[in-house]
Amino acid sequence: MSFIKDFIEKETLNRRNFLLASAFGITGAAAASIVGAGRAHAAGAIEDPTIAWSYRDRTNPYWNSIVSGGESFVESLGKPKSALVHLINEGSSEKSLADVKALLGKTDGKLALAIDANDSPNARPVVEAVVAKGAFVSTIWNKTDDLHPWDFGDNYVSHMSWSDIGPAEQTATILLKAMGGKGAIVGLGGIASNNPAIERRTGLDNALKNFPDVKLLDYQAADWDTQKANSIMSSYLTRFGDEITGVFCANDTMAYGVLEALRAEGLAGQIPVVAYDGNAQAVDLILAGELLATVSTNPHWGGGITAALAYYAATGAFKPSDEPHEHREFNGPTVLITKADAEEFKKKYIDATPTYDWKDFWGPSAGPITY
Amino acid sequence: MSNLASRGDLQRWAPLLVLVALIVFFTLVNPNFLSLKNFARISISATPPLMVAIGATFIIIMGSIDLSMEGSVAVCAVIFATLFTALGGTLGGWGWVALPACLIVGAICGLVTGTVHVGLRIPSFMASLSMGFVGIGLSLMMTGGDRIRVEDPLFRSLLTQRFLGFPLMVHVAFAVLLAAWFIQRKTTLGRNFYAVGGGEELAHASGLNVRRVRIAGFALAGVFYAFGALFAVAQLGIAETATGYNFMFVSITSIVVGGTALWGGSGGVWNTLVGVLIVNVINNGMIVMGLPRYVQDGVLGLLVIIAVVLSTDRKSLAFVK
Repeated sequence: MSFIKDFIEKETLNRRNFLLASAFGITGAAAASIVGAGRAHAAGAIEDPTIAWSYRDRTNPYWNSIVSGGESFVESLGKPKSALVHLINEGSSEKSLADVKALLGKTDGKLALAIDANDSPNARPVVEAVVAKGAFVSTIWNKTDDLHPWDFGDNYVSHMSWSDIGPAEQTATILLKAMGGKGAIVGLGGIASNNPAIERRTGLDNALKNFPDVKLLDYQAADWDTQKANSIMSSYLTRFGDEITGVFCANDTMAYGVLEALRAEGLAGQIPVVAYDGNAQAVDLILAGELLATVSTNPHWGGGITAALAYYAATGAFKPSDEPHEHREFNGPTVLITKADAEEFKKKYIDATPTYDWKDFWGPSAGPITY
Repeated sequence: MSNLASRGDLQRWAPLLVLVALIVFFTLVNPNFLSLKNFARISISATPPLMVAIGATFIIIMGSIDLSMEGSVAVCAVIFATLFTALGGTLGGWGWVALPACLIVGAICGLVTGTVHVGLRIPSFMASLSMGFVGIGLSLMMTGGDRIRVEDPLFRSLLTQRFLGFPLMVHVAFAVLLAAWFIQRKTTLGRNFYAVGGGEELAHASGLNVRRVRIAGFALAGVFYAFGALFAVAQLGIAETATGYNFMFVSITSIVVGGTALWGGSGGVWNTLVGVLIVNVINNGMIVMGLPRYVQDGVLGLLVIIAVVLSTDRKSLAFVK
């Protein structure tokens, strides 16, 4: 049982370090970067790092696309798909961090990690654990505003996010125009504390400012969930009846639930609905005339390029600290899909998976992140 | 004596009174609530959880608990959709074979859970919870996390076609409820559930094979979970691992709110029907009232406690654990 004792001792030390770092406050971050730079693996030191993706779950089409991109990148290196290590956190930040630490131990820091840290505060301990072991990490979506890749030398390679406010404003505008600029809408949002849920709501509010004759009847969180969205939509129909002339959904999976609630009443295709995420089913629904618009964030590319950035920084193909800030924190691409371009989008992105140059790190990106 | 009887009567009818009170209350707040259209909407969202809750009712009557429903529903939904698609994807052709196959899969899931619980002597709580996880994992493995779409208009007519203002699935579910009532009331197995729940030692001493009753109970519950899976797929046109999510909380809550005691031996499928309706009326009514989401969760919790206080006889209990 000595390994348990070792583990507890190690964790106690880690905890002590963490407390010390907190005591240092901001200087703690700087200290960590010095420690990181002093470790064995500088950029280029790792010959064949393990490649891992850490993400939330496998029941969601979005995360499946992310993973498919990661696998496609791994295959571009001549490795089998199974060479990609999956760390699934199931919505738990503690599990996310514990899995990363375990893998760092197993690989002794010879690791290229792509990760969504599940929530913003968890990004810092993950990055610090990776940096302390001299491994390389690229993050997406969740990190706090005071955490920056350039504060950690080369080992925190990059962070990519997507600004959803603009695209959500576009889909909302399409919806409001389809309604002839008058009438009333209901909205269904994601998990209230999620960043994309907040940004997509802001996009809707921005669009509504330009259409003073459209009323927002109610906006409820359906937690990205098809079933919840379904029952909320049918309750909306009772509460507002014929008043509803449009529906705004913060993602595709909720829109499916909304459309089935409308279908049950024979209303599918009669009330315009907009969504977000650009999943295959949503694109089919646009072609069928039941959904008005959705937005793709190209998760396949995002999943591949995030793993590629961490990998090529680890092998030394490029040196992150030589890159400008806009190459270390940047926004991913967003593509608006409406009936006019759905056919083309389907052909290009769904029926055939486009092949990407996984060394073109920033080609499809959409500019630096601004705070 | 008459006083005691009236107290018992009150408790017996309390869930129904709670349901009526809720309907009156929500109607006063928004008259739209009391309409055939809205009752149809409530019954659509209540149908899949009702099936799952009926299955779990039998287990709870036995004094055990079954938490494997989320895994079982996911496995049933995914196998049904896969088979249905493979057999041509329409009820008009050979696709109908997938319907009984789904029920058999449900029975097998329950059989496995029951055997693990009885054979290995693991408390039903742990055995069923673990088998639920196994089910979720299995369905994930089969789908790879993807969704299977079931768009056959004939199958979807369960949702889209109406008779007397209610979709076909509601009528079918009512028939299944009657079958469950028949099992509970008229079959030896149904009576044995009460015997086991009322006093297991006594039932055993009377020569009842309690182990076999338990396993049969879990298998029977699995069949009702499979009905739940079928209706859930009919409702959304999608079969996926997440099809099973949310059923555990809704079904167990509904059973308890309906007046079936968690310690076994009392209650039944009609209680469960009322319980499921209470939970769904609350969910629907709170949105019709326009309560914000964070208030809804709190109100639901409070109403559940009130319903349990009113509808279960706790005086006869020596202790509550």
